[in-house]
Amino acid sequence: MLERLGYIHSGSRRARSMKSCPLRVVFTWASAIAILLWGGAAPALAQVKVTFDKRPSIAVGNLLTADIRFKSQLDFTEFPDEPGTPSKPLVDLHRTRLGVEGRLMKAFEYQLEGELGDAAQPWRDIYIQTRPFRDLQVRAGQFKIPFSLDQLTSGMDLDFNYRSLAAAFLSPGRDVGVTLFGRVMSDSVRYQVGVFKHGGDNVRESERTDAQADRTYAGRLVARPWNAFDNLFRTFSVGAAFTSGVLPAGPNGVRGKTIPGDALFQHLFVNGHRQRIGGEFQWRPGPVGLQAEYIRVRDQRFGQGIDNQDLPNAYARGWYVTGTWLLTGEQKRDSVEPARPFLRGGVGAIEIGARVERLAAWSPGVNDGSFSSPRAPWVMPVADDVWTGGVNWYWNDYVKLQANIIRERRAADGRVIVGQGDLWSQTFRVQFGF
Amino acid sequence: MTRPSPPTSILAIALVVACLLAGRPLGAQVSVDSLLDGSSLEDLWVHVNDRDWEDLHTHFRENTYYPADVEWRGVRVRNAAIRVRGVASRNGHKPSFRVDFNRYVTGQTFFGLDALTLDSSWQDPSMITNRLSMLIFRRMGIAAPRVAHVRLFAGAGREYVGVYAVTEEVTESFLRARFGEDTGYLYEFNHLENDNWGFQDPGPRLGWYVPRFTPKTHEFESVANLYMPIRDLVQRINDAPQSDLESRLGGYLDINGVITMLAIQNFVAQTDGLVGGVGLNNFYLYRFAGKNLSVLIPWDQGNAFGSFESGFDPPPWWNMDSNVLASKIWNEPKYRARYLGALLQVADLVSADGLLLTEAQRDYQQIRDAVYADAFSPYPLSQFERAHTTIEQYVRIRPDEVRQYVASLTQ
Repeated sequence: MLERLGYIHSGSRRARSMKSCPLRVVFTWASAIAILLWGGAAPALAQVKVTFDKRPSIAVGNLLTADIRFKSQLDFTEFPDEPGTPSKPLVDLHRTRLGVEGRLMKAFEYQLEGELGDAAQPWRDIYIQTRPFRDLQVRAGQFKIPFSLDQLTSGMDLDFNYRSLAAAFLSPGRDVGVTLFGRVMSDSVRYQVGVFKHGGDNVRESERTDAQADRTYAGRLVARPWNAFDNLFRTFSVGAAFTSGVLPAGPNGVRGKTIPGDALFQHLFVNGHRQRIGGEFQWRPGPVGLQAEYIRVRDQRFGQGIDNQDLPNAYARGWYVTGTWLLTGEQKRDSVEPARPFLRGGVGAIEIGARVERLAAWSPGVNDGSFSSPRAPWVMPVADDVWTGGVNWYWNDYVKLQANIIRERRAADGRVIVGQGDLWSQTFRVQFGF
Repeated sequence: MTRPSPPTSILAIALVVACLLAGRPLGAQVSVDSLLDGSSLEDLWVHVNDRDWEDLHTHFRENTYYPADVEWRGVRVRNAAIRVRGVASRNGHKPSFRVDFNRYVTGQTFFGLDALTLDSSWQDPSMITNRLSMLIFRRMGIAAPRVAHVRLFAGAGREYVGVYAVTEEVTESFLRARFGEDTGYLYEFNHLENDNWGFQDPGPRLGWYVPRFTPKTHEFESVANLYMPIRDLVQRINDAPQSDLESRLGGYLDINGVITMLAIQNFVAQTDGLVGGVGLNNFYLYRFAGKNLSVLIPWDQGNAFGSFESGFDPPPWWNMDSNVLASKIWNEPKYRARYLGALLQVADLVSADGLLLTEAQRDYQQIRDAVYADAFSPYPLSQFERAHTTIEQYVRIRPDEVRQYVASLTQ
C-alpha cells in the first residue's frame, strides 16, 4: 500500500546503509557547510542572509543558498472490502519529508531530501548538478531515473491523490547514477540520458537486494515545438523515453497492484533484460490541463521454465489520460498558485479533474493450463481499468486539499473477475508543504 | 463440428473396447491407491527448475514454495508447489518436501490428493518405521495417512535423488476419504521446544494455543472461533473425573480412539507421540463439522521401533503418566482394561499370519536396491541393514512380550 501511494524505497546499497534520521543529517550538513564557510570563506559570512519567502532560505553571499523544504500528506481512505486481502488503514500519514536544496557557488545546484516516516530507507533525492550551461548539465547522486512524466512529477504536484498505476508500478523510480540533461533549440527540446547503478527502487524487494542486479541505461526526449511562440499551443509537448537494464534471475518480475494496494500481477521468475518504452503528451492551455502517457515493460525469462526452458517474455502495459480544469481561472502549472488565496480575501484555487487509466500484464502464447505458476509459459492476461474523478482545493501556496472517487474494474483473461467489476474507493488528502 | 475420419474413429473405438476388455476403464488406469498402497516401488518425477532445486537445498530452513510439476506413470500434474518440510529432521543434504497441488490452482489435486509429503527418512535408517506404524493404525480403525516408498527423480535431467516415503497429507481430501466430510476444523499440533505439554490446563488465554495448534481449515477465522473449542476440550480433559471420563468428554473426544492410539504407539515404542518423552507430538486434531466431537489423527511415526535398536525397550505402559489424559486412563481400572485390551488386539493383529513381519520384509526387499543406489542417503548401508534386522527382531518378539506384560498386570 505504501509503495502504491508513493513510499518508494531506495534501491542503492549506499542509501540502504544510511539509517540515520534525515533531520539529523540535514543538520549535520548544515553544520559542515557552516564550518567550511567559517574556516575558508569568512568574508562571505558577512553576507549571510536569512529570508522567508514561501520557505526558510539562507544565502551566504554567492557561495551558497539553502532552501529548507518540508512536505507532508495525510490521507483518509476508504477502500472496498475484499475477502482474502489484508485490511487497509483508514488514516495514512503518507508523506513527511524534510529537505534542503539550493546553489553551491555559481556552478552547482544540490538537493537533499529524506522521508521522516521511513526509518529503514529514509533517503529520497541526494544529488548535485551543474548549473551554468542549460544546454548540457550533469547530475550525479541518487534521484529518479528519467522515465515517465507522471513519475517525475513531484508527489506534491499530482493532480490526484495517487499517481497513475502505470507510473507507480512500471517506472523504475530512484537509483544512484549520473545523467546528462539539457534544453536546446530555445527550450523546444529537452533531453535526459543517464546510467544508473541498478534497476531503480520501484521494483520488488528481491530485485533491490539481488547482488546480480546490474546497470540500467535510460533516456528521455521531450519536444515542445511551439514553445517559442506565444499561442495556445505553447505548452504542448510530446515525448518518448526508454530504459534498458539487466534483470537478475529470480522472482523479480514487474510488480502491479490494484488501487488498494493488493497484488494484481503474478509474481514471475525472470532472467535477462528489462526494457521499458514510454510515450507522453502534455498540453496546458490556460486553466486546462491535458496529459497522457503510455508505458510498456518487457521482461525476459531465459531458462525460467520448470524444465529450465526459455519462457516467452512477460509484458506489462499501462496508460492513462488525464484532464483537469482550474475553475478559478489560474494558469495550469506543475505547482498551482491561487490568484486569490483562501482566508485572504479569496477562495483559493479550485480544480476538477478526471483520469482514465489501465494497467495490464500478459505474455504471448497459448493457455497450457500452467498460467498460475510463477514459471508459467503463458501468463494469464490481467487488467485493472480505473476511472478517477477528483477535486483539488488549493488554499494558498502551502495547503492543498484533494478528494478523489475511484472506480475499478478488474479482468482476467479478458473477462471481468467476479466481484471485482465495480469497486469504489474514496480518498481524501490534506497536504501541507513549502 | 468436424466429423472424424474413419481411421481415427476406428482407432478410438478399438482403444475403448480394448480398455473395457481389460477391465480397466479409461481414466481409472492411474489411481493414487496404486501409489500409496505400497504394492510396488513407484517412480515419481518432480519437474523443478535447476535454480529452484538448488535453492531448496541451500535455503532449506525457509518455507518458500517453488513451482513444480509432478509426473507419475506418465501423467504430469502441473502447477504444484514444493517446499522443504520438517522440524528436527530439516536438512539441506536430503531434505523432505511438501508438495501442495492447490497452492497455485484452487481445487487442483494429484489424483484426488490436495498435498503429499516426500519424507527423506532422515532420522530413520530403516526408512520403514512410519509406514509400518501407519499400517497398524489403519488396521486398528484409526484414521491415519497412507505411506509408501518411491524412487524420486528431480529436475529436467531426471536425476535420481533417492528413496523417499510418500505420505498423503492430512488435508480436506484426507478428511473426505476418511470421514465423508471436510468442513470441520482441522489443526496440526506443533510441538514447541522444551514445551513438554501433556494436556495440562494452561489457563484461559487463547493466545497460548495459537502457536501449538495451526488451523489447516478455516484458517482465516477469528482466534476465538478457532481456539475456544480447543481450550474447552483441554479444560474438560482436566476437569473430567478419572472414574468417568465420558461425563465431561463424551461428545467432545473420541476416548476409545485415543486409547487405541496410545496402545499402538506404546506397542511400536513410538517415543515421539502422545506419550512422548518431551510431551505431546505428531498428531492432528479434527473437530467434526457442527459438532463438539474431536478425534486425533496420528502423524509421522518415524521414531517408532528405533528405540529398540538403542537398547531402550520401553514397557507397553511407558510414559502413561506423562500427560493428563493418559494418566487418567492408566490409573482408572476400567480404562486401563480397555487400554490393555487394545494392546492385546495390536499384538494379535501384527502376529496374525505374521502380518507385520511380512510387511517389514516386503518393504525391505522393495526398497533395498533403490537405497543402495541412493547417493544422498544419510546412513551407511550397514546401518540400513542393521536397522532392518532390528525391526524384524522387534516384530517377532514384541507381541509375546506385550502379552506377557498384560498377563502379569492382570494376574
